[in-house]
Amino acid sequence: MAKYVIGATGALLGALAGVWLMLAPFALAYQGSGADWADPTYVDFWTGLPLLVISLAGSILYVSGLVEELRRRGIMRRPYAAPVEQPQAPGPPQGNASGSGNDMEQVLLPLVTAMLKDMQERDRERDGAREGAVDDVRQTRAAGEEGSVRR
Amino acid sequence: MAPQARIGLVVTAIGFFAGIWLFLAPFIVEYQKVGQDWIDATKNDLWTGGALIAISALTLILFGAFALRDAVRVAEQEDTTEAEED
Repeated sequence: MAKYVIGATGALLGALAGVWLMLAPFALAYQGSGADWADPTYVDFWTGLPLLVISLAGSILYVSGLVEELRRRGIMRRPYAAPVEQPQAPGPPQGNASGSGNDMEQVLLPLVTAMLKDMQERDRERDGAREGAVDDVRQTRAAGEEGSVRR
Repeated sequence: MAPQARIGLVVTAIGFFAGIWLFLAPFIVEYQKVGQDWIDATKNDLWTGGALIAISALTLILFGAFALRDAVRVAEQEDTTEAEED
């Protein structure tokens, strides 16, 4: 991976050298402004321009190689790759439901199921409590009757 | 190695040769007479060409070194995998 970074850095420095070559005749004033270009100016400018273009292309190539390497290692994702499907919880068949309604149904289904279970348990507890109370009353009555018989 | 990197290496090699050209250009194009004091253009071309040669050579050497290191690592991993399978 480091090799691509080194290559891109080298290419970028090459591009900077190309820019400098294009500007140098005017920056160092060995080319008078308005005058016909001298031989050194031609050499520097026409070496600098292709160097800039080629180095920029090289820099882009190295960076694309780096990106490919990162994707191959799984560090970077492809921008328009299909998302990995997540396993869904087993549930009843969805029928013709679709879109946001379907999503909402999937979200609410476990909640509603839990609520129903809770309600059923409460009903059972109430029934159990009623039956217990009825049994207590019967036992009390039976005890009273036994007492009256004893007398 | 990614195919883009191979083209990138060719580009770096072109940069190296451009540096050599810049180094020799003042004398080939003859705007610098041999034996006379160097004019500003010559100094600029020699320094820029030298820097370009150094940068390109260093890039090529380091790229090659790191590519070899990666190749050795891959070979070692393959050996380890084969040994585990056996």
